[in-house]
Formats: sequence, structure tokens, C-alpha cells
Amino acid sequence: MHPQVLLQNFKGNRSASIDEYRANGGYEALTRALLERTPAEVEQMVLAAGLRGRGGAGFPAGKKWSLIPEGAAHPRFVVVNADEMEPGTYKDRMVIHVDPHLIIEGVILTSYAVSAEKAYIFIRPSYESSALILERELEVARREGLLGQNILGSEFSLDIVVHRSAGRYICGEATALLNALMGKRPNPKQPPPYATEKGLWNLPTVVGNVETTACVAPIVRNAITGGSGEPAFTKLYCVSGKVKRPGCYELPMGTPLREIIEEAAGGLPEGSELKAVLPGGVSTRYMTPDLYDTPMDFDSLAKIGHRLGTGAIIVFDQHTCMVAATLNIIQFFARESCGWCTPCREGLPYIRDILTQIESGEGKDEMIPKLRRMSEHLWRTYCAFSPGAVSPLESLLTYFEDEVREHIRMKRCPFRK
Amino acid sequence: MVSCAILKWRVDSPAPSVDAVLSDKSAQMTPKELEESLKEDIEKAYDPREQAVDVLYALQRQHGHLSDEAMREASRLLGMTPLELDELATFYDFLYREPVGKYVIHVCDSVVCWMHGHQSVMDYIAERLGVGLGGTTPDGMFTLLPTCCLGYCDRAPAMLINGRVYGELTGEKIDRILQELREEEPPLALDR
Amino acid sequence: MPKLIIDDREIEVPEGTRVIEAAEHLGIMIPRFCYHPALGAAGACRVCAVKVIEGPVKGIQMSCMMEARDGMVVSTTDEEAMEFRRFVIELLMLNHPHDCPVCDEGGHCLLQDETVSGGHAHRRTSMKKRTYRDQDLGPFIRHEMNRCIHCYRCSRFYQDFAGGLDYGPLRLGDRTYFGRFTEGRLESPFAGNLIDVCPTGTLTDKPSRYSIRRWHGERGPSLCISCSLGCSTVANAYLRDLVRIEANYNESVNGFFICDRGRFGFYYAKHPERPRRARVDVSEAPTPEALREAAKRLARIAATHGPGAVACIGSTRSSLETMGALVRLCETSGWRKPVFFSDPAMQRKVRTAVSRIDKRLHVSLREIEKADFILAVGADPLNEAPMLALAMRQASRNEAAVAVIDSRPVVLPLDFERLAVARHDVEACLNVIMREAVSDEDLKIAIEKLPGGADGAASRAADFYTGIRNAGEGLPPEVRVRALKIAAQLKAAHRPIIVCGVDAVCETTPALAADHASILSGLKERAGIFYILPGANAFGAALLSSPIGEGASSFFEEIEKGEVKALVVVECDPLGQFPDRRRIEKALGNLELLVVLDYLPSETVKQAHIFVPTNTHYESGGCFVNQEGRAQFTPPVYAGGEPNRQETGGAHPPRVFRSHIPGGGPEPAWKLLAPLGAAPRGEAPELRGNLRSILDGLHPAFEQLADSPIPPVGERPSTYYARFLAEGALHVGSLAPQDCGALAFASSDAGEKAPGVGKDDERLEIILTEWTFGSEELSSYSPYILQAEAEKEPCACMQTEDASRLGISDGDLVALRSAGGGGLTVRIRVVENMARGCIILPRHGRLAWQDLEPSPVQASVERVKK
Ligand SMILES: Cc1cc2nc3c(=O)[nH]c(=O)nc-3n(C[C@H](O)[C@H](O)[C@H](O)COP(=O)(O)O)c2cc1C
Ligand code: SF4
Ligand code: FES
Repeated sequence: MHPQVLLQNFKGNRSASIDEYRANGGYEALTRALLERTPAEVEQMVLAAGLRGRGGAGFPAGKKWSLIPEGAAHPRFVVVNADEMEPGTYKDRMVIHVDPHLIIEGVILTSYAVSAEKAYIFIRPSYESSALILERELEVARREGLLGQNILGSEFSLDIVVHRSAGRYICGEATALLNALMGKRPNPKQPPPYATEKGLWNLPTVVGNVETTACVAPIVRNAITGGSGEPAFTKLYCVSGKVKRPGCYELPMGTPLREIIEEAAGGLPEGSELKAVLPGGVSTRYMTPDLYDTPMDFDSLAKIGHRLGTGAIIVFDQHTCMVAATLNIIQFFARESCGWCTPCREGLPYIRDILTQIESGEGKDEMIPKLRRMSEHLWRTYCAFSPGAVSPLESLLTYFEDEVREHIRMKRCPFRK
Repeated sequence: MVSCAILKWRVDSPAPSVDAVLSDKSAQMTPKELEESLKEDIEKAYDPREQAVDVLYALQRQHGHLSDEAMREASRLLGMTPLELDELATFYDFLYREPVGKYVIHVCDSVVCWMHGHQSVMDYIAERLGVGLGGTTPDGMFTLLPTCCLGYCDRAPAMLINGRVYGELTGEKIDRILQELREEEPPLALDR
Repeated sequence: MPKLIIDDREIEVPEGTRVIEAAEHLGIMIPRFCYHPALGAAGACRVCAVKVIEGPVKGIQMSCMMEARDGMVVSTTDEEAMEFRRFVIELLMLNHPHDCPVCDEGGHCLLQDETVSGGHAHRRTSMKKRTYRDQDLGPFIRHEMNRCIHCYRCSRFYQDFAGGLDYGPLRLGDRTYFGRFTEGRLESPFAGNLIDVCPTGTLTDKPSRYSIRRWHGERGPSLCISCSLGCSTVANAYLRDLVRIEANYNESVNGFFICDRGRFGFYYAKHPERPRRARVDVSEAPTPEALREAAKRLARIAATHGPGAVACIGSTRSSLETMGALVRLCETSGWRKPVFFSDPAMQRKVRTAVSRIDKRLHVSLREIEKADFILAVGADPLNEAPMLALAMRQASRNEAAVAVIDSRPVVLPLDFERLAVARHDVEACLNVIMREAVSDEDLKIAIEKLPGGADGAASRAADFYTGIRNAGEGLPPEVRVRALKIAAQLKAAHRPIIVCGVDAVCETTPALAADHASILSGLKERAGIFYILPGANAFGAALLSSPIGEGASSFFEEIEKGEVKALVVVECDPLGQFPDRRRIEKALGNLELLVVLDYLPSETVKQAHIFVPTNTHYESGGCFVNQEGRAQFTPPVYAGGEPNRQETGGAHPPRVFRSHIPGGGPEPAWKLLAPLGAAPRGEAPELRGNLRSILDGLHPAFEQLADSPIPPVGERPSTYYARFLAEGALHVGSLAPQDCGALAFASSDAGEKAPGVGKDDERLEIILTEWTFGSEELSSYSPYILQAEAEKEPCACMQTEDASRLGISDGDLVALRSAGGGGLTVRIRVVENMARGCIILPRHGRLAWQDLEPSPVQASVERVKK
């Protein structure tokens, strides 16, 4: 059986307590790191382990931490991105609910590595129960001397607060998130300066995803204790859509798509055939059944022109109209666009309008090249929101052009009676 | 590749313990107490602006929605102008600048729930309540709104009511939920 | 300095230049909406896309977001870039109402230009357009949200640049809305710039709606004369009617912007009651006849009582030509030397200020933005010279420290340290800060570098610094603590500037500020002094007024004594603008002859025995010297005359019969003055509008003036204007001397004695002051300024402690009574942030402040029972 790292303390319908977390080696890494290792050493461990960000971009976490300039100002901040609004994604919620202390320890270690004084967990409103769990467990950690002044008798002090967001997908984008935290409009902000130099209140700030943060403690623990030898390179794959057992599965990074869907998620329901898959949330490109054996990791997908994104696998079957699915996705993005830059603000509603026409039988042939040009143009936006938004559209036109043409030819959606 | 037993990690959201629910202070406070407690939080923050959304949430709970008066109150507490706060309040979808019902039903309409028939859920609720999207029932109990992916795709179709998620919705289940809400105050009344 | 190639042409630009700016140097205007030179890049509109062929990131990039790098190769004409730009335009036009025919921006609309030049001219979509509901933003600005293209220029100007917090972006995505929390007037006094900054017809000039197309009227560079800064403007006239003022770019003064007082304050020029025909006693007369009659009567009085019986009063709002002509008139006629200030103290203060600006200490308004420390001494920038506050904000945004020492409740759109002390404690505070910031060694170094060391300035300075060792002793401890903090900031600064007002300060303060700035200039990379003066041409007036302290008030004394029998008042309104109104009324009543020349429908004009109408600077042009000694010539914009709209209700051509020629009439005051003189015909100086000929020999500073460039009046000199527009400024010379030499130091230690206001005294010192809107003479004739002001009842400010001691609460109506019998009733605003022991009273048009005696005046305060 493959080792479970992030979900090893799964207790059925409740969260693991601090004692249960400790029983499996929890807070060992922290205790030893605070007493025996310098922050730089902790940073080095994570760098050496090659942990890549799980929020979507896959940037090496240790490298990000090291971008804080030598001698940079204080206080410094660590922000955990628990906004998780990418449709199809719920892995962060899963970790929080299963093992909140895994995240808390990860935040403390991250903060120690970058010498931060304060950490925020930025959480979306529909995760209110997750926020309450975190707040409850933070209080427990505080009581146990794991937070606050001179943690575990060391020189290091830290406080963690849960910051509730009030919605909107763009808040997950790291720079928009920082604006949101500062009580400003959550528009993204292009660097320079980078958050690691001037983030929250113009002070050095590290933003990391929940899953990324959850990987930190196991890495440090292994590095210090020699552990089970294998670092925490599992990945949380959330499977949803047309499968028998939708759910979040912890598997080795790089498990082939087929295995995740067929074995973990139980395959497609009776009578369903695989038509397409979004491999990492709705900001990635559709994959077709011929790519069923692709290993699901950052590089393997990048090599064939796809993206791992959040690893949230959405499965579509042969009864799904891909035009309608794409329209739904574009509708989502059009509604959530922050409105800062023109192509995203005006372009997405424009695309929505054209797709609506095609779906309702009013499509014209010239709309296809037009949409194709637009999906190229929408890469030239201020932030990565819009390139993500048009990924399904672009791949729709690449892999399902015939289906689109069918709509136009029949002057109606072929999937509708 | 690994082909050993694969555990199914599917977790229903655990009910938060009672003390956590009680930590939601603003629910039963008098306006005066709430003001004091918000002032305290603002005092503690690194910068008052950090508390902007929290203060708006709290006043929203107290006033039912963010009326102009509530906005002005937030402005006084935070030292930001009403416009600065309105820039935020009108941006976020969980802050309501217009009156809403006691329960705000956010039905997920993103792609996974769409595949699992969110439209019929929406239609069903609309029909049951006799209101359209964005409408509030005449008794002031319910407001129906669409929302984007709730992060409960494993339990699609899903909806969120006052901080609580309900998944795998069916007509029957919806009827039961609406009935329950009508009859008794649920233990968790958050983020409205 | 990176060298790059844009469209096959090479250019070298300074480090940090953006590609969009580099292209501009080559004359290539890359389309832009969100980018604005003053606001910087936002990367929001995406219409400035170019193709980067060589560079750190290749492909389609936004030229506003990219710094020019060595070896970069950029194409603006690349097909892919052009197609993307066309696409962006298409997107921007998706929801646009296409209502150009009824849009005031039509004809000078960036969106129109880019749409046409971008090549996207045909609608390809049948999408429903989004519509918005507009807001009432007050009397100045019209809101039409449907035309908005969401470039964020407005909110970036309003919030970031100007510090306004009542207007901004609401909602999100394609529903983003720019507006206010609730309808109502935009609070920032710089809001009018939104009209210029907005590249579409979303925010337009409300008062001039539907009255002109920009290409249609007469349009020319002009100058704002509503305060002493002298901001550049562009005036638009149509059918003899001045309809709109815009900001004009001026590199050294106002940059891209002006304040709302300047933008909406010009309506005096078209005031329906503007006196346009001369009058002798009670009947209208042609101007030449009125002039002849005036000259005759003046000659008679001079003959009977001696030439000393004739006195002339000018003002600081007149052009240098008019002032010069008035001085010449008095000289040739042997009358008393004219005065331009209300009282001798003010004249002395302005003369001191003017004498202290030299090439070393001289700073322009734009240099304020680059300062890293600004100390305002007895200055209230937002009220006295609004654009100064905007410049200070830019400095503050660049992390300059700003501090204010003043008795008034100064408000600025930035964070600053405040020392709210009484007028007579201002100097002590300044001394504490300087003493603390300048170490003994520093002082030695600075003294060595002082100009005119030989004449004893050095030893005076040394003595003075020894003398102020304990300057802070009389100050309250919390003020001292703050002063020390400010001193530390000053010590760390490299480019400090002292801003000094002359209105609400003691007589010695302007000199002291300059002395200290002099010391700083020996220590710092750059140090400067920046004065705020009373009136657009106060600098010129100071040069032309006599060194003997005289002011208009001295003449009123002479009239009372019977020494002066005739008064010639030129573009001045003593009844409306000077204190001690009863006395002035009486004095005017005692005169044998009152001759008034003016363009305002003022009270003084109504009292005149003989009245002759004059021109505004929009009609005649003229030279004005701003507070830093910058002489700026403003050409006439239109020929003047009664606006068609007023004369015929807008019908064109006018269908009324008149005995006079429409559009004829008033002439510039300087032309009208010579004929009043007593000099025998032929001996009158030749005043042909040549500035040099008028000013010759009146003050050595004028030798630095370029020859007057007055264009022929009556033509539409568009090419002539084009030159001015291209050059951006009307600078005709700087009147600041190379080196002013003299340091006062000696006279300033004591300051003015504190008035005898004790702690328990019921009497408070009244400090008369300016308000951004409502107190300045010219703009007070503007119905739009009045409308904007109407919501806010003018009130006097009183410190919290004084108020509670006297049992007065916020909003009370109080009666102020001075010992001399003057007084008025006014509403009180109780404020924390001001000095104790005084009342701040605006010279507001709706307050009878003129009933008080000249300052300093103390008054008892009593609540008025209802
Ligand atoms: C439009 C947009 C939405 C995003 N949403 C999230 C999110 O919900 N959660 C998240 O962790 N990262 C999100 N990201 C990625 C973040 O910008 C950022 O890269 C990430 O939080 C960094 O953490 P990591 O390095 O641990 O992955 C989003 C990015 C974009 C462009
Ligand atoms: S692409 Fe532009 S409008 Fe869209 S979310 Fe990013 S910045 Fe906002
Ligand atoms: S001018 Fe460059 S993006 Fe707007």
C-alpha cells in the first residue's frame, strides 16, 4: 500500500485531534527544527526536497522563500492560500478537515524558515466550517505553547489568524489575495515588486497553498529524523463529474490519469464512456481519452501541452455537450473577472455571448475562427486569470471543433432533443 | 505503478464543535457590545483595514444586510470612507448591499454541479419558494442566488445556506432542508 | 542609458523610461488609455500593445508596463500587435453607446481617435449593451457611465494622485462602476481634472455642456489668476462667450492639472452684471468721454488741493502692464505713489518675501514634488494655493516627510505632522526645529557658504543660533516633542523645502523662513523657500510698490484727514475685499471724486462717480508674476464683448438693434490709464502694450523680462497660440535675482509680541483666512463655485478647549465683537486640531467679515440666543 502522508490521520467523519496528530509524529519536526536547526537549514530542506507549489503554478516552494532578500525588513508575513475556488477543487478543504494540525505545523515551519512574525490563513466563505475547525485547533495549539511568544521555549514567536474572505475567485490569485487582506479591492498587481520583497503592507510576504503548506512538516520531519525515507510527494487528486466515486485521493505524484479514474474513483458509471477530462480544474485544457495514460504530474503534462493545475480532475462522458460545458465555464469566469483589464472584462462576456448563440442554434461558421482568435488574444491579459479562462475554450476548438460545427449545422444543440 | 488498495478519502464536512460555534460572537450581541468587540478586534489587527471585511460581515449579520446605515457605521469604526468600503462590499458576493432573506440559498452553478443538474435544483427551489433568481420570499425567510463552485464537487449538486453546505441534492432533500429551516434555528448561522 | 530600436529607428533614453515614452520621443504615439504621464502605467486597458522582437520577454507586450532596455527591438506596426489593438478597441466599443453627436467629448475624444485610427470602425456583434445609472456628482462634473471604458484613470487620479476618498471603482468585472457611495458633489477640490483625465465623455465639464465643440471656438493658452501660483490653463471661447477652462501642461508650475477654483472660477468674465459701459455720475457715457471727464475733474482737484490730493489704489490681480501704467500715471502727474495692498503690514511682508527669493533658494511648484521634506510655516496650502497641496501630496507619496506649523486647522490630502500653535509661536517652533536639526558643526559649514558673509550676515546668523538655544521653552511639552520628531526628519533630509505663507503670520516670519532656508541650502543637496503670496501678481505689485510701508488703509486715513480728495481705484474693490468697511464707506463718502476702473460688478464700482470698464486678462492678455518670481505672459484668448448668449438669448446672428457695436467696448486698463493723467499732451509716456516700455526703469528686476509678445488683438491668432501650446508655458522671464544677499536674522528673534490674550480672557484673536472656495475674489462671482459652496455654511473655527471654556458648542451661532466696535455673527465649528486663543474666520463672501477692523484684532465671543 502506498504511504498516506497528508491524509494519514483520516478519522472518518471528524478531524484528527492534536494528540492523534502527535501520535503519528506530528510536531516532531517543529520541535527539532526550532531547537536544532536554523531557519536557513529548514529552508534548505524544503528546497532540496523540490516541493512544488500546489496552488496551480507549481513554483518551487523553497525557492520562493529564498526570494526574500537578505536582511529584508520585519515584520514578515506568511499567508496560506485557502481560497480554493477553482471549480472541481476541494483538496485544501479535505486536508483542513482531516488533519488541521498538519497545516498549523506547516505554517509554523514556513514562518520559522522565513522569520515571519505573523501568519494568515485566507479562507473562502463557503469553507466556514473549515475556518471554525482551524480557529478551534489554533486555540489548542496556542494552549500547547506551539503558537505565541517563544514557541516551545525557543526565540521564535508567531501568531496565526484565520482571515475570512467574502468570495470571488480572483481572491485566490496571490497578489489579489494580498490586496484583499489589506482591505483593498482584490485586483491583481503585477510585479515588481514581488510579494517576497513588498507584499502585505509593503513588507516581505510568502504566499503558499494549503496543500503545499501541508507538505512542509512531513518533509522537514523526514529530513531531520531520517523518517520513512520518502518525502511527501504524494498529490491530492480530487475527482468529480461522471465517475462512480467522486472524491479526493492521495496518490503518488505522477499516478496515471487512467489509474486515478478507474481505480481510485471507480471508473465511469454504467453506460458512460469517457469523452474528456479537465485535469486540474477549469483553467486547464480538456484532455481526450487518447491521453488516458499520462502520468499526472507537472512536467509530464507540460510536455504534452497541458497543465496539472490543482489536480482537480473533472470527468465528462459522451452525453455531455462540450459547447454547453465550455459555456458554463466561460460564464463562471465572466462573472468572476475582477474587471481590471479589457480583454478579460469585456472579452469573456463577448465569448459567452457567442457560445450562447452557438449553443442555442444561432451559430455561424465565422464564429469559429473568431473564437479561436479571441482565445489567443485573451492570453494577453494583466494576470493569469484570463489565460486560464480560455484554456477550455481553446481546447474545445482544438479537440471538439466537429461538435461545435454540428451545433451550427443543425441550428440546435445536438445533445438536446 | 502502484496498484495496491486505494483508500477512499471522501469526507463529509464534520460538524464543528459547540465552542467553535459560540466563538461566532456577533450573533447574539447587542449593537453596543458588538461595537465594543469590533473595536477591540480592530485594535488588535496589524492595520485597521485588515478588519474591513470582518466588520462588514458582523454588521451584515446584525442589520440583516449592509444597508447604507450599516456601511456608515463600518466607516466610523474603521476610519475608512463609506465609498472605500463600498468598493469592497460591492465586489464580494457574500456581502449583500440589498435586503436579503433570513436564509440566503446559494445554489452552485459551476461545471460539476451543472453536470449533475444544478439547473433543476435551481428551478425546483424557485418553484417551491415562488421566487426567481435573486428574489426573496415575501415572508423574508429565503433569498435564492446562484453561486460559483462551492468546493463540494464530490457532493454535487450542492448549495450553501448561511455557512452550511448541503450536497447530493434531490427534490426530497431540498424539501426537508427548507422545512427544517422554517421550523428551527439551525445551530450554525454564519456568513450571511 | 539604454539604447533601443523602435520601428527601425534607434533612440537612447534615460534609465527607467518606459517603451511607450521612448516611442513618444521618436514621435510615435502608441495608443493608450490607462497610461497617463502623471499617473503612470496600470496595464489595464491593453491598447498599448507592441511586438517585442528583441528583449527580455518577446512577443506581444504592453509598452506602458515595460522599461526600455539596451538592445531592445520593438515594432509598433507589427500585424499581430495591430490586430490585438484593434481587438481591444472592439471590446471597448462593445458596450459604448455610440452617442458622439450628443457627447461633449466629441472632437477631442481619445476613444474616438483610437477607434478611428485603430481601424476598428464597424460593429461585429449584436450583443445587448450594458447600461448604467448615472450619478449626480455636483455642479462641476457630469457623469455618463455608459460611455466608460474602465481605464481606471479617474480613480487613479482621484484617489492615488489627489487623495480623494469619495469616488472610485465599485462592483467588478464588466459591471464595474465608477462613482460615489451616494450622489453628491465630489469632495476633492481637484475633481475637475477628471474632465481632462477621462479619455471619453464619461466625465465632462457640466457648466459648459452642449455649448461648444473644442475645435469650434476660440481656444488659447491662458493663465489662472485665482491665486499666486499662476497655473497654466487653456481657455475656450465661443460667440464672445468664455465657456470652458481646461488645464494646460506646464512643466515647471502645475504639471497637468489645476484646481477647481481655477477651472470653474472664470465666470466673472461673463457675469451678467459685468459693467460693460462707462458711466459719469448717473448716466452712461462713451469711454473716451468718461475718461476726459475724469481727467478734467482730477486735474481740477490737483490744481486746487495740490497733486497730493489724488491717490490711486491698484490690486494684486492686475497685470504688470496695468500696474506699471498706474505707477507711471502717478509719477507723471505728480500724484501719490499708488498702493496695491490693503495695509502696510501686508505690503511689507510681501516685499520681504519677494526680496528673499534668489536663484539659490528659488523652487518651482513642480520641484516641491521632488522634495523629501517639506515644512509649511504659517501656510494653509489647500485653502491659500490649492495646487500646492497637490504638489505636496506627490512629495508625500514619494515618501517625503511633511510638517505644518500653523494656528489654523490645516487640512491636507496627505499625512503630516501638525504643530497647531498660536501665530506668535510659529517662529519659536521653527527655531526649535532648526536648532535641533542643525548641529554646531553644520552651522559653521553653512555659515561659511552664506552669501554676503562680509556684510555681517555670518556673525548675525551665528549669534542668532546661539540665541535660539532655548527657543522651545515657552512651548507646550507635546508641541516640543513633535518639533523634535520633525527636526529629526529634517536632519535626515537631502532636499528640504520651507513653505511660508504671508497672510496669517507675524511680520518677521517670512524673513526668518528665508534665513533658515539659507542655512539649509549650505548643508543640503538642495534647499528652498516657497512663499504663498496674496494674489496672482502680488510679486509684481511688491516690486512696484514703494519701500515706505503704505497700504490702501493709509490712504483712507489721509482721506479722513482731508489730505486726499480724489481716489482712482483700478481693478480693486476696497468695499468688498478690505476689512474695516464702515471706515472705508465713510472715507469714500468724503471724497470729492471717486474714479473706478474695473471689470467686476463690485460694490466699489457702484459707488464710483466716474466708472470706466476694463478688460479681463482673457480679453487683453497681460503679464503676471507668480509667487516664485516667474513672469508669465498670457495672450488674449478672444476679443471680448457681451456674449451673444447674454445679448440675444443665444440667437445667432444677434437680431437686436443697439447704439453700440456688439463685441466692442472695454479696453485693457493699462491703455485707459494714460489719458487720466495730468501731463501735457505729448509728454505722456508711450504705452503701446510693450511691456518693456511700460516698466522701463521702474525696477531693475524688470530688465530680465523678455520683450512683450502681445499679439495683435482682434485676429484669431491660432498659429500664434499653437506656439504657446507647444512650448507648454508662457514663461517670459524669472524676476528672482541671482543672489539676494541680505540675511535678516537680527530682526526676527522676538517676533510679534503675543497679543494680550490671557488664559481666562474672553477675547480671542481673530485670524482672517482663505477658503478654497468662497473667499477668493474672482471665483466668488462664479455661480458654480457658489453652488458648490452653498451646501456648506461658512463658519469660523474655534479650538475645543476655548469653546468649552466659553460654553460654546459646535454649530452655535456666536457674536464676535471687537474693541473698536466691529463685529459679526457667525456659526462656530469646534475643532481639535488648531491653536488655542484664536478664532479662524474665512473672508467668505457670505460673511460680513469686512465689518471687523484690520488684523490683528481681538474679539469677545458670545453665544447668540435664539
Ligand atoms: C486566477 C487565479 C486564481 C487562483 N486561485 C488560487 C486558489 O484558489 N488557491 C491557491 O492556492 N492558489 C490559487 N492561485 C495561485 C496563486 O496565485 C499562487 O500561485 C499560489 O497560491 C501560491 O501557492 P503555491 O506556490 O503553494 O502553489 C490562483 C491563481 C490565479 C491566477
Ligand atoms: S485577467 Fe485582467 S480583469 Fe481578468 S482577473 Fe486578471 S486583471 Fe482582472
Ligand atoms: S496604456 Fe498600456 S495597458 Fe493601458
